[in-house]
Amino acid sequence: MSTVDTRLQTADDLEAYRQRLLAGYDPKARRVRVCVGTGCTAKGAIAVFERFRQAAEDFQDESLVVGAKCTGCHGFCERGPIVVVDPGNIFYQEVKEEDVPDIWRESVLGGRAVERLLYRDEKTEQLAKTANEIPFYRAQHRIVLAHNGVIDPTRIEEYLAVGGYAGLAKTLQLMQPDEVIEEVTRSGLRGRGGGGFPTGRKWRSARDAPGEPRYVIANGDEGDPGAFMDRSLMEGTPHAVIEGMIIGGYAIGSSQGTIYVRNEYPLAVEHLTTAIGQARDLGLLGENILGSGFSFDVRINRGAGAFVCGESTALMASLEGRVGEPRAKYIHTVESGLNGKPSLLNNVETWANVPQIILKGADWFASLGTEKSKGTKVFSLVGKVKNTGLVEVPMGMTLRQIIYDIGGGIRDDKAFKAVQTGGPSGGCIPAEHLDEPVDFDRLTALGSMMGSGGMIVMDEDTCMVHVAKYFLQFLKDESCGKCTPCREGIAQMLHLLEKITKGEGQQGDTERLKTLGQLLEDTALCALGKTAAYPVLSTLRYFRAEYEAHIAEKSCPAKECPGLFVYEIDAETCTGCRLCSKKCPVEAITGERKKPHKIDRQKCTNCGTCFDVCPFSAVIKV
Amino acid sequence: MVTVTIDEKPCQARPGETILAVARREGIWIPTLCYHEALEPYAACRICVVEIDRGGWWQVVTSCNYPIRRDLTVRVNSERAVGARRGVMQLLLARCPESRELRALATRMGVDDTPYPKVTEAQRNCILCGLCVQVCAERIGASAISPAGRGVERAIAAPFRMASEDCIACGACAAVCPVGTISVRMHETEVEISPFKSRAKLRRCPGCGRPVGSELVREALSRRGGPTVLEMLARQGLCPRCRREKLAIELTLAVPHGVAGQSVSET
Repeated sequence: MSTVDTRLQTADDLEAYRQRLLAGYDPKARRVRVCVGTGCTAKGAIAVFERFRQAAEDFQDESLVVGAKCTGCHGFCERGPIVVVDPGNIFYQEVKEEDVPDIWRESVLGGRAVERLLYRDEKTEQLAKTANEIPFYRAQHRIVLAHNGVIDPTRIEEYLAVGGYAGLAKTLQLMQPDEVIEEVTRSGLRGRGGGGFPTGRKWRSARDAPGEPRYVIANGDEGDPGAFMDRSLMEGTPHAVIEGMIIGGYAIGSSQGTIYVRNEYPLAVEHLTTAIGQARDLGLLGENILGSGFSFDVRINRGAGAFVCGESTALMASLEGRVGEPRAKYIHTVESGLNGKPSLLNNVETWANVPQIILKGADWFASLGTEKSKGTKVFSLVGKVKNTGLVEVPMGMTLRQIIYDIGGGIRDDKAFKAVQTGGPSGGCIPAEHLDEPVDFDRLTALGSMMGSGGMIVMDEDTCMVHVAKYFLQFLKDESCGKCTPCREGIAQMLHLLEKITKGEGQQGDTERLKTLGQLLEDTALCALGKTAAYPVLSTLRYFRAEYEAHIAEKSCPAKECPGLFVYEIDAETCTGCRLCSKKCPVEAITGERKKPHKIDRQKCTNCGTCFDVCPFSAVIKV
Repeated sequence: MVTVTIDEKPCQARPGETILAVARREGIWIPTLCYHEALEPYAACRICVVEIDRGGWWQVVTSCNYPIRRDLTVRVNSERAVGARRGVMQLLLARCPESRELRALATRMGVDDTPYPKVTEAQRNCILCGLCVQVCAERIGASAISPAGRGVERAIAAPFRMASEDCIACGACAAVCPVGTISVRMHETEVEISPFKSRAKLRRCPGCGRPVGSELVREALSRRGGPTVLEMLARQGLCPRCRREKLAIELTLAVPHGVAGQSVSET
């Protein structure tokens, strides 16, 4: 594939170029796709890719076209690095450098599968040759992530080859701005960043608001613990975000776009920068795009990683070069946002949905999902689940399907306890609601929220008071400190939770937590503070007994809070190997070799060393 | 004009006016801490919250910066609004239990004590209302101080928490501080703004030798130029109170901005 020397002048030029690219694509060519998303890279994917690249370079046979390329995240991060071989779409997992020769010889050149690197289903023992045969992928429906893992995100040609920028061409060629807004409105798309505000209505307000210039902004400041949806999207399909923004700019009459992405996502910044440069070179950004007379450009603004900058007004303050602090939104940012001008801010996932809606139509999009939540949603499924990773499912799929069918159930076959959705401000949903469909309104009714799509699964060993404390600690650190309730209220709530988890809780503490939670919801300035109490309130709602046990009985039912349970040695399991007594820092464990040992409760400091070192799981928490 | 119904009392308001402005005009008391008529509302302290009717549900909003756009029904003294304001005050009292000013306001709000322990450290009872930062930026034009740190670590300071080079030791920050955190200290030859550590040369009255203020303020004012004869004559026509206020606005070192300037002269 070659690059064009000149800008694409019209939509027809773009289509002709796409056809040329497709004509140059050899379906018989043997290609290796190596995932170099952040997860796989951390597990050594770069070295794997280098070996494949070298192998392709050294390959001399003229009769066979071979190649190796990098792709964005495939989603199955648990099993990375992931390598896929075409043709055949053979899916390899946990590939190490030393596996490269085998894959190259057998799969790339021989067209056969290397069985030991295929995914093996735990229950059926069946080998999966392609991704679609793996339960993790089977139940997913990928729209936003459709091209992640397929295309090389650093090459615009590959995005064009899979139909990229066709939505933009259609917009500029056939649609009036109002028609674009109408299409987005009819699709039922709602904001993917957390709030779930109807996107079309937001666009309409931005178009109708007086003032020039207008701004289009993409929020890529994802900062929830355990969430990486936006990162993987920006890394894997950066052009989809850019294309959506250009369409949005056309719809509301804006010529300036900004992507706010945190600097901790270096690969996302790099790929977006590359993508913007390539789109400019082809004339898909800049003056008079595809001869339509419409001009639009995008720049990147790197955030310094403050969680509060995901809040629209704080993000805009940060863009203006001021301290990233929120302000009141009694006048919405669509009317008075960046520099006091009408500003259309959407999450990167929202933007990435737009080109597809335009291309395939609002009816197609609205046919997916539930009555009030349309389309798909990307979740990062993490925690005590077997298959962690990125999943994209139609709205309305039940929590059980996501956690058990896709996620493979709970690790070590323990009991499911709760799933935390919506990031630090979300809530914990217990087992009795596992069959609830996942959509904006159901999650809110359950006392949690969709948020940006974090999904943290917890098992029976997780203490819910401890979970609430963890999230509150995060929010205390991330609160900007501007308003009293958020700054002082979170600190007070955390103080109470610390007391409770230390066994110093008093009767009435749960009521105090509730009062403070209500105060925060009513009076805090921004969404961070208003929702900060949700982890506490939702765990109080579903797991009150655990709080009571901590307070009244000074015991932690999940045996996670140090000091609220003790260690004992099970005489039947103990082999008397003496490892625990050797490692115990306070010499609290005694016993003869090959005879059951005993812990002296008086001396024991509950440090847990014996529990960690025992090779026979003979040390138990009681 | 639109109608704002506050606790069942219909009041007239100009579109764009805040709930607080209307309430004050009508003699309805709403406590404030981070609000000052001469400055843009900052809405950080949250002590002025009230309830508004959103058609089917009541939203708690800050009255100091909620702009009235159409007819509106407001509850200042509903159980929820009063409870929210008292709750915020209790949090502030936990932070600054020793502040006399805060205690006085709390008493007026019906708050005797706080159920919460002291868990955050405040520099000399600072409630982080931000008035000092705003007056320095909006009115004096020096921007010598700003919030530093995040969350419970937040404090008001000059850059790097060192003495500021931009401070002219005018003392405006001390004048607006609602809890007495900031003070102007006269030394033998210097004026100090505490706790910001900034110092400027002290000017003494050439007549009696009493301390007047910062030499830097005089310099800054002299750069602004004096009033014309016409302006002097116009000033002569005013009563002493208005003359003082008009002069105060003119002497403001930052470029006076219309909205805030107006509200000063109105009071």
